Amino acid sequence: MARIGVFTCWCGENIARNVDVQSVAEQAAQLPGVRCSQTHKYMCSDPGQKLIRDTIAAERLDGVVIASCSPHMHLKTFRKAAEHADLNPYLVEMANVREQCSWVHSQRSRATAKAVDLIRVAVAKVRHNRALEPIQVPVTRKVLVVGGGVAGIQAALDIADSGVPVVLVEREPSIGGKMAGLSETFPTLDCSQCILTPRMVEVAQHPNITLHTCSEVEQVEGYVGNFRVTIRKQARYIDVDKCTGCGQCWNACPSKKTPSEFDYGLGKRTAIYTPFPQAVPARPVIDRDACLRLTKGRCGICVKKCQADAIRFDDQDELVSEDIGAIIVATGYQLYEIGKPDGQGRVTGYGEYGYGRYPDVISSLQFERLVSASGPTGGEIRRPSDGAVPKTVVFISCVGSRDNAKGLSYCSKICCMVNAKHTMLYKHKVHDGQAHVFYMDIRAGGKNYDEFVRRAIEQDGAHYHRGRVSKITQEDGRLIVRGVDTLAGEPLTIAADLVVLAAAMRPATGVEDLAQKVNVGYDEFGFLCESHPKLRPVETNAAGVFVCGACHGPKDIPESVTQASAAAAKVLLMFSRDRLYREPEIAHVQESACAGCFACRRSCPYHAIDPAEIRDRQGQLVRRVARVNPGLCMGCGTCVALCVSKSVDLEGFSEEQVYAMVESLR
Amino acid sequence: MLQPLRETCRRLLDDGTVQVVIGYGQAMRAVEPYPVFITDPNDVGQLVWNEQCRTNLVKYLLRQEIRALGKPAIVVKGCDERALVVLEQESQIERSEIVVIGVACDGMAEARCEVCDAHQPRFADHTIGHATNKEQSAERRYAHLAEFQERPIADRMDYWKAELERCVKCYACRQSCPLCYCQRCIVEKNRPAVLDTSPTLKGNFAWHIVRAFHLAGRCVGCDQCSRVCPEGIDLRLLNQSMARASEASFGHRSGTDPQAELVLGNFSKQDQEQFIR
Amino acid sequence: MNTAASDPANGEFEPKIVAYVCNWCTYLGADLAGTNRLEYPANVRIIRLPCTGRIDFNLIVKAFEIGADAVLVSGCHPGDCHYTSGNYHARRRWMLFRELLATLGIETERVHFTWISAAEGKKFQQLISEITSTTRDLGPYHAYREICETCEV
Repeated sequence: MARIGVFTCWCGENIARNVDVQSVAEQAAQLPGVRCSQTHKYMCSDPGQKLIRDTIAAERLDGVVIASCSPHMHLKTFRKAAEHADLNPYLVEMANVREQCSWVHSQRSRATAKAVDLIRVAVAKVRHNRALEPIQVPVTRKVLVVGGGVAGIQAALDIADSGVPVVLVEREPSIGGKMAGLSETFPTLDCSQCILTPRMVEVAQHPNITLHTCSEVEQVEGYVGNFRVTIRKQARYIDVDKCTGCGQCWNACPSKKTPSEFDYGLGKRTAIYTPFPQAVPARPVIDRDACLRLTKGRCGICVKKCQADAIRFDDQDELVSEDIGAIIVATGYQLYEIGKPDGQGRVTGYGEYGYGRYPDVISSLQFERLVSASGPTGGEIRRPSDGAVPKTVVFISCVGSRDNAKGLSYCSKICCMVNAKHTMLYKHKVHDGQAHVFYMDIRAGGKNYDEFVRRAIEQDGAHYHRGRVSKITQEDGRLIVRGVDTLAGEPLTIAADLVVLAAAMRPATGVEDLAQKVNVGYDEFGFLCESHPKLRPVETNAAGVFVCGACHGPKDIPESVTQASAAAAKVLLMFSRDRLYREPEIAHVQESACAGCFACRRSCPYHAIDPAEIRDRQGQLVRRVARVNPGLCMGCGTCVALCVSKSVDLEGFSEEQVYAMVESLR
Repeated sequence: MLQPLRETCRRLLDDGTVQVVIGYGQAMRAVEPYPVFITDPNDVGQLVWNEQCRTNLVKYLLRQEIRALGKPAIVVKGCDERALVVLEQESQIERSEIVVIGVACDGMAEARCEVCDAHQPRFADHTIGHATNKEQSAERRYAHLAEFQERPIADRMDYWKAELERCVKCYACRQSCPLCYCQRCIVEKNRPAVLDTSPTLKGNFAWHIVRAFHLAGRCVGCDQCSRVCPEGIDLRLLNQSMARASEASFGHRSGTDPQAELVLGNFSKQDQEQFIR
Repeated sequence: MNTAASDPANGEFEPKIVAYVCNWCTYLGADLAGTNRLEYPANVRIIRLPCTGRIDFNLIVKAFEIGADAVLVSGCHPGDCHYTSGNYHARRRWMLFRELLATLGIETERVHFTWISAAEGKKFQQLISEITSTTRDLGPYHAYREICETCEV
């Protein structure tokens, strides 16, 4: 390249004050390969850009160096200007003579000398620049949503409504997630199921949504726009097409002793069951560990009862493959395990609270089921041990959350609101009852949230005690809660009939496995990492994979839904063109020289390097070499530095360019 | 030792397990043993084993013309076989495609043998003889380097100037290294030439820096490079400094653990250094 | 860079410092120093690379070959890499490479490694001032220049 134009900017006085722009331009004109050297008061202005465009055309320039401000400021501007003059934008480089020269050096002679050097470096580089075209990646316009809770449902519906097909994968027999089991929601106390179940039905009936329940993601191959996802559909033992969901089978099933997962063990279910009446799909599933036919080979009453001939005891797991363009992970949360026997007679976590030992110490999600009209008590608050209506209930915050010693260092964010809601729901059903709350701080940031907590205290008379509970014991059928009220400065003992523990939110089990399959990072607690906390909150570092809901961190329903819609919008944005366009400044391998040690592959943060096979004409494998996937490479160049034979190079910062830059400083 | 070695090789060739045995041969005591490539079971009598079998034969596994002979068996010492481990970690060999005949070794009368902790091969398919592996502290293993490093920095520079002045760029160090397997060596790369390939002091420094650093975290300390250097340059010092740093900073001893992650190309967020500000 | 080797004005030794910096942290830190008009000596020549992961050890050797008196390598703080892990790879590389330089008798006090974030304009200014002054005290790197000036041996 030997027709380079150098354009030095005065930036008004900004550069010209400390740098002799005229002298710089004259010296730049003498550099090898430079055809012409010009200056302008404001190179980024319209007349400045016109000067560049006109000179490119008049002098038939094949390379341009703009000596002005930081490339972070205006490289895009000048590359666009070059493009308008039919010069490939990647043939434009900048010399930063403002931020890194005139603004930091006041001695004019030295600043001028440095400015010439900076131009020398840029000219040396641009002589080795190559015209590059944006990389195009085809896109399969189909989305995989993993997790059918409220976040997954929202994302799936938003996308499906825009006309893009969605594959929704849910591990449980029904979608709905945690929200389906809630009674009322804060801060409005509207019925959770009334909000959610119509959305669930919409999912089931949506022509653009393929729903796989009892299913998990088995394998993810490919890359952004071009994933191939294998889904394992667990045997349901029901032909869902034939089944009408009439309920004859589960009403007749003799195996009735399995604790209901949906009621968190507070109720029982049969071996053939639907998790809850409004389940979507409204089809039962057979629990292979509880079914007498599947475990012991006898029974089969359901087969006799089924008029539709829908029972399939020989059903097998099935693998389904889908071509997918983008993936949204919305796997949600589970509760912190409050007291877990370690098998040696001790309990890890909060053993002193007696959870699991005393039937009347329950978790907040269990309390939701006790209050819910569809719950095991039909919505009457009756304690698990004897069915009595509890007259004193203690709610404890931060069980697991914000506790480095026993649990997790983070705040689970929803528990303060959940406790306030529970005290109100309790008071509305047990008018002569008294609710107590032990809390560390009340965190009620959110629209109408603090007002809601005030209402719980002021209107519904909940007693709030700022302090921790040290121990719960059982005496004469009551639970003795020993704690401290740090505001009053004294210990506090309450004899309660029921204790509800607001356990911390943790990511759902198996999220790490899934994260590894889709190459998304996760933190020490297993919450998935977004690409940037402020600017890319639903994107991840794996291109084409997005996160929303509580798998990303503790969140309430409104936040999860907001994030889900945001993820949907990002996916739709990605799909708004039929191809993805990516920066061409990426790595590529010279396969004839590659020795196939795969140091590059080990180091690549984007899993953008795969082994490729070189075969001769007879199809015999000659050797394996590294190959860069242009759909994934982000151009960091770590592979270039690691490659001992320098068989991999980086466009835009190639070995040739970099060495020429260093050499120019000789 | 020699008889069981020859018998093992004959058996492997006889029953068609392998098509070639890479071992040591020797014409007379006065010359060093040289590599032999035995394809006929009747030729196993050419194999020798004695305290002059210093050469690391692993390099020959990678040669195209030897690969063309068919599935190989290779005779290795406990120290040599570490190179096989690295080659497998770096996808250069399929361990299952090679039969490794390990020979117990009591030392080859070299300085490094005195601090050897791999007299007995650990990963071989067939082991001939028995020797005892003795733990050697890092201080002992790197004593030679530590002594050198005690010199003032200017002395060290002077030392290398004098040593590398003699380098004739014959690249014997590269040719003999079992871990130098590139299709195209970095010195043969032009546009741009990464380093000055001229046989000047500048070019010699550049080459030996590259050679040593390309073995960083990889060199297994077979000393083949120092052994073959016609100018007797002590390249071991450079290799050892990389090996010691890998061991000290990352607990990595190259070629001792097939499951270990390689030093470069991997990282830990816990990596500790004192010099980055 | 012929003008920087010594300032004709006073004939004093002016160190030549080559800096390899990453595009996302240190380069922006240097820009911030400019935006805040934080003055520092004009001895450093920055070569912008996408990431410290891209900075090959050969570039350090090359800098000395072209007559640098000091070399600076700087990128994002651990955990802040724009490409998530390039700086961790770089850190390992330098942990080993520095050892090699020391064994060869190359003055490691002329090779500087730092983490400078996009917000640390002040740190950039202080660093360059400090490196310039320590290199000035060390004097020209004659030892390596001698290596480079020897002709055919």
